[in-house]
Amino acid sequence: MNSWEPKIIAFLCNWCSYGAADLAGVSRLQYPVNIRVIRVPCSGRINPKFILAAFRHGADGVWVSGCHPGDCHYIEGNYYARRKFAVVKSLLEHTGLEPGRLHFSWISSAEASKFAETAREVVEAVRAVGPARHFIKTKPMWDDIEAPLKAACQAEVG
Amino acid sequence: MLTIFVPKDKLPGLIGRIMDGARVFAPVRDGDGYRFRLLDRPDKADFTYQNTRLSPKELIHPPAETMFSYSLKKGDPKEGILEEVPKALGKRVVWGIRPCDAKAFQLVDINFITDQVVDPWWQKRRQATVLVGLGCAEPCNTCFCTSVGTGPFDRSALDVLMTELAEGYLLEAVTDAGEALLAGAPEGAPASGSTLSEARSVAEKAEKSLPRLFVPEPLKEKPMTELFQAAFWEEVQFACINCGTCTFLCPTCWCFDIQDEVHHQEGVRLRLWDSCMFPLFTLHGSGHNPRSQKLQRVRQRFMHKFKYYVDKYGNGPACVGCGRCVQYCPVNIDIRRVAGMMTASCVCPT
Amino acid sequence: MHAYTEKIREAAQRLLADKKVDGVIGFRQGTIPMMSEPVFIRHADQVHQLTWNGFCGVNLANYLVKRKDRVAVVAKGCDSRNIVLQLQENQIRRDQLYILGAPCHGMVDRRKVWAFLKGRDPLQATEDGDSLRVSGRDFEEVVDRQAFLQDNCRICTHRNPVIYDELLGDPVPEQAGVDRYEDVRRVEAMGSEERWRYFEDLIASCIRCYACRNACPMCYCPTCFVDESRPQWVGKTLDPTDTRTFHLLRAIHMAGRCTDCGACERACPMGIAVRQFTKKLEKDIKELYGYEAGVVPEGRPPLDTYRPDDPQDFIK
Repeated sequence: MNSWEPKIIAFLCNWCSYGAADLAGVSRLQYPVNIRVIRVPCSGRINPKFILAAFRHGADGVWVSGCHPGDCHYIEGNYYARRKFAVVKSLLEHTGLEPGRLHFSWISSAEASKFAETAREVVEAVRAVGPARHFIKTKPMWDDIEAPLKAACQAEVG
Repeated sequence: MLTIFVPKDKLPGLIGRIMDGARVFAPVRDGDGYRFRLLDRPDKADFTYQNTRLSPKELIHPPAETMFSYSLKKGDPKEGILEEVPKALGKRVVWGIRPCDAKAFQLVDINFITDQVVDPWWQKRRQATVLVGLGCAEPCNTCFCTSVGTGPFDRSALDVLMTELAEGYLLEAVTDAGEALLAGAPEGAPASGSTLSEARSVAEKAEKSLPRLFVPEPLKEKPMTELFQAAFWEEVQFACINCGTCTFLCPTCWCFDIQDEVHHQEGVRLRLWDSCMFPLFTLHGSGHNPRSQKLQRVRQRFMHKFKYYVDKYGNGPACVGCGRCVQYCPVNIDIRRVAGMMTASCVCPT
Repeated sequence: MHAYTEKIREAAQRLLADKKVDGVIGFRQGTIPMMSEPVFIRHADQVHQLTWNGFCGVNLANYLVKRKDRVAVVAKGCDSRNIVLQLQENQIRRDQLYILGAPCHGMVDRRKVWAFLKGRDPLQATEDGDSLRVSGRDFEEVVDRQAFLQDNCRICTHRNPVIYDELLGDPVPEQAGVDRYEDVRRVEAMGSEERWRYFEDLIASCIRCYACRNACPMCYCPTCFVDESRPQWVGKTLDPTDTRTFHLLRAIHMAGRCTDCGACERACPMGIAVRQFTKKLEKDIKELYGYEAGVVPEGRPPLDTYRPDDPQDFIK
């Protein structure tokens, strides 16, 4: 298990957090390589489907970051997003997603050091929870009617 | 044909012995209902059930079935080739199926095994399956099997008919496969004359409790367009919320959808239950939908069962009167009432 | 006969005669015990079909979305809250509706009665005040109606319609001392893994028929996420990950919109307690934003608005 490194999908808003990641890079700030960035126009663009899709594809963690409240390029996109994030995070964790897998942050385009620091925090939190065990979508192989049957079918098919 | 009597305490022994050579499915308590499950112990089977919530069609026509797999990897010699996925098609026995549900298999056979086209998996599963029916001594108030050409002790689709008596079960082989299943069973004893007459009176009592509610036969002669345009559909369809429960629970609803799922560089082709209650069912690639209205979809379900199927195959109707849709419809659309409306204007033979 | 029945018939007669509405949406006698069927009455000579009893659990708001005509509709507390939401979401206009408010005593859950009867087949069920009389071929049981109400009715705190044009009876006392979230808290107290398993077991028997979605008066998207194929957000097999994805996304779409009318659980052919998802959201929305769906006709639903000082402890 020592070789395992967390895989984290980071949804960064174009106007703030993506800029911060850029600035962190140009400023040669170090942060862990475990995050895969997906640029979105606004944190308000994040549909809960995106978060679920990342976990379904095997992400060990998801991190969504946008502009600070009041700084949204679209004036209020992140205000709406904030309410959505609150209920999505709560429901996912209520239904058994380990706390520590799903993260949110506000990072402005000037906050390169906050970006690097938050990246470290997120990676360490996900590392502490370990590799994703749930919610990973695999190829569906269905024959008979129920999962416990699988063993029987395989025994018969050989 | 071979007829034996098995005392109640010996039935698990008989089933257990058969489990050595075949997969045996039987009604098992599942939450607040019953469902056909693969038995791992013979005593798990519960024959006190009235009917399972889901029909046993799932045993022959699973809700989800992986048909093929394929590779999308560049350079893979199997790239783009559909390969049939291995399936468990060995011998199986369904123990305790209701005669109506077994009849449903026969009705679907007519559609899936034709001169021109054969559904290979339906056919193979059917051929691998022996049906031991459990006569329906106490039909539910939602049952109407006698109105659609079958009955609580209809043996026409069974391999063995089992009748529950006070002390045990009477097992009557109906086909050679059924006879082979019962032959030499040490649990059984030859049925005495009094046992046979006890079984006969159980069956007669059950049949008497189910008067015919409507007579579907004259629908054959009725012009299709007249039924199609009937005014009553407007009233019938109102309450429907297109939830699809009726089609998912129905033993004769056979419609399916084919979907591909791709995972990285490999994919599978799946067959999934579908429902004519959903607008997506008939949505064309062009965006046109010939059944975009709820009325059209509701009408389709009833017309298919009582008219299209009958016209196409000269058989039917494609309903066995199990009553599941009547019992579980959340808005109380009652197929018996609808069938009554469809047949009302027919001239019934006296 | 229930006292509302006469009033509903009288109102229907009057509204149709005065040409105030094109039709009346109500209930008629069902064909099986403990069921009443939603019906659309167009003419005065059909008015006698209308009825009311404790088996009118179907949410009639289901039949209002995108209607073009003017209708009268009989609305229980939950139905009226769904109507409020549909008005807010522009699915129908207020001037198209004439709402006959039905203060509600809770609806009977026939599945609870079936469970109580243990396989005995009910042939007839009648109500008499607080008691429910169920009889079959060789039995008769008289039980306390309250014990057989739908789960959502037992914890209902809005039995009286929140919006109406006329009331069919005096408002009923709202249930006091109701603990709406006892079950949610029980799950919250579990560990993460235990909660995962709890929901895994909860949805294990799901056959992905989508009856819960279709029965919901608030589910009216022209294309459901389930049916989207490019990209495909959720697979359609019985795969547990897909089934969970479906239930989670369905619930999230209900956040701040669910009135806990119980239509989803009524419709589920497998008897899955799908309200376990939506109730958690309902509790969160109430705690975070102090909002109850469909209670106040003014204002916007909670996820369609914001306050600058909304809680954000969970955001770094």
